[in-house]
Amino acid sequence: MDMIADQTFAGSFNGLPGHGRARPMDVRVEGLTKEFGTTPALHGVSLDVPGGELVALLGPSGSGKTTLLRIVAGLDAPTSGRVMFGGEDALQRTVQQRNVGFVFQHYALFKHMTVFDNIAFGLTVRPSDRRPTKVQIRERVETLLDFVQLPGLGKRYPMQLSGGQRQRVALARALAIEPQVLLLDEPFGALDAKVRKDLRRWLREIHDRTGHTTLFVTHDQEEAMELADRIVVMKDGKIQQVGTPDEIYDRPATPFVFDFIGQSVKLPVSVKGGKALLDGDVLPITLGRSQDGPALLFARPDDVALAGPEATGIPGRVRAVRRTAGHRLIEIALGRDNHLVEVAVRAADAVSPGEPVTVVLKSFRLYADDSRAA
Amino acid sequence: MSDRAATSAGAHAFRSPVSEAPWVRVALIGVALAFLALFLFLPLVSVFVEALRRGVGPALAALADPDAISAIKLTLLVAVIAVPTNLVFGVCAAWAIAKFEFRGKSLLITLIDLPFSVSPVVAGLVYVLMFGAQGYFGPWLAEHGVKVIFAVPGIVLATIFVTFPFVARELIPLMQEQGTVEEEAALSLGASGWQTFRRVTLPNVKWGLVYGVLLCNARAMGEFGAVSVVSGHIRGLTNTMPLHVEILYNEYDFVGAFAIASVLALLALVTLVVKTLLEWRFADQIAAATRRH
Repeated sequence: MDMIADQTFAGSFNGLPGHGRARPMDVRVEGLTKEFGTTPALHGVSLDVPGGELVALLGPSGSGKTTLLRIVAGLDAPTSGRVMFGGEDALQRTVQQRNVGFVFQHYALFKHMTVFDNIAFGLTVRPSDRRPTKVQIRERVETLLDFVQLPGLGKRYPMQLSGGQRQRVALARALAIEPQVLLLDEPFGALDAKVRKDLRRWLREIHDRTGHTTLFVTHDQEEAMELADRIVVMKDGKIQQVGTPDEIYDRPATPFVFDFIGQSVKLPVSVKGGKALLDGDVLPITLGRSQDGPALLFARPDDVALAGPEATGIPGRVRAVRRTAGHRLIEIALGRDNHLVEVAVRAADAVSPGEPVTVVLKSFRLYADDSRAA
Repeated sequence: MSDRAATSAGAHAFRSPVSEAPWVRVALIGVALAFLALFLFLPLVSVFVEALRRGVGPALAALADPDAISAIKLTLLVAVIAVPTNLVFGVCAAWAIAKFEFRGKSLLITLIDLPFSVSPVVAGLVYVLMFGAQGYFGPWLAEHGVKVIFAVPGIVLATIFVTFPFVARELIPLMQEQGTVEEEAALSLGASGWQTFRRVTLPNVKWGLVYGVLLCNARAMGEFGAVSVVSGHIRGLTNTMPLHVEILYNEYDFVGAFAIASVLALLALVTLVVKTLLEWRFADQIAAATRRH
């Protein structure tokens, strides 16, 4: 897929009937709990999504993010809690009545129907008093095909399309019903890296132009950071943190969020009298006020520098050197117990395994480590 | 590829690692063909040969016999009732099993297989036990003037019992493999349950359904054991084609027996030809329906 000139986009959007009229819907979730048998999938999740926002539900598998999305859509019912669309209780409405555009992970296109019939489906199943005429449906589908940059492919079957094209048909099908809320379950999960990056940018543009309140599920933190206005980080059926990409990256609320979002250097330390100790040795770093006890020290790769053995910092030894596209990744053993950390340096900076080095932390965060607490 | 591998393989023509030596292939194909010829093709041909032994005339005369005509009519009637009934029940059962989780599901699957595992004679006897003169419902039915056993209703019931699994068995694995995600997509787009079934579920299983119905029909017309028990063999009234064949054969009317038998065999062949034609005509669609994206 290529970048399409803005003009084309604007033109096709303006021709998209039914969009740009209604105010985007606020979505609110309160104390949502879901149990499958006895296994809880969601633990009292509450979330506010103001109308028109693009929100990522981010977490590892089993974190409950897809369950949350399906409950908002009406494909699953919560054990307890509330889902509000605007001022209305969405749980009182069936999935058909909620008018959500849902894009499934593997597209779920109707494989026995052409692309045209797939996109038209949501309009043709309406009761006769709300159903557009055949001509109107045809116009709408053609407009949507242009909008998702697949003009002229209406007669194809889903099988004859590439993964990225199928994903765009799935989105066009969801948009055809003029949804109040757009929900996407791992929208780019099944695509290869290049296509994924293009579609990401494209989805962001579509969102900006249609203005739908949009929730999407992903396990890819990079995707969430790049695409979303706000990110909801989930783990074990609970929300860890809600915030803008900046907040999530720069001020992670929990060690899990720090670790999950982006690369990190992680050291198990203990705090005693305002000093941090690694395997009993005092580290030459300045702590703010922090409680005594076991703690986890996190730092972003950007905040970690490598210096010669004579510099002030944490002494260590190079274990391995690996080359990536723009960098050299240096694996260093720190402390007496050889805690391994990875530091990226410029490709030009060569060090060899076995060399003594010093790791300098320009910035770091400290979290009390409950798992090691006595 | 390393040089060594290239030179050692160079002398021989390349053979796919999953293929066998030519003589193994020839032997396997030969055995399979010989077996088919001996056990399937030869008997089928001999049916027609026997029927035409005295020429076309006597064979046609045997078919024009009023008892034969009534047997053919009864067989078609039974199929016309039993096949649609099992079509509806089979789709319902497959739908319930493939798309929902409920208690007793595995029991239901086992029950659907029961007609396959039970001898048809037993199936017939069960109906006699239930609806016969001495059966559970027999006296009540007699009071109300309803005749089930030794009458057409009994034959229909026995046929439905025996042919029940065909449609359901064909659909269950297909529906299970397809899962419910397309249905969910249809519902999220505003389709009602019925619209979802008619426009998404049914088209996705339509080829399985066609096969199931064809097989069900073939068996419904050919069923002997269960029908034999409940029919009572009343000529011109409760004799289906297979029963009529047996009666004629036992009376040494070989031409008559084989003439009717050829009609049965022809019906089976037509079923197979229809199935093959459908497969050939709609190969793209069948492939599209069974292949995953």
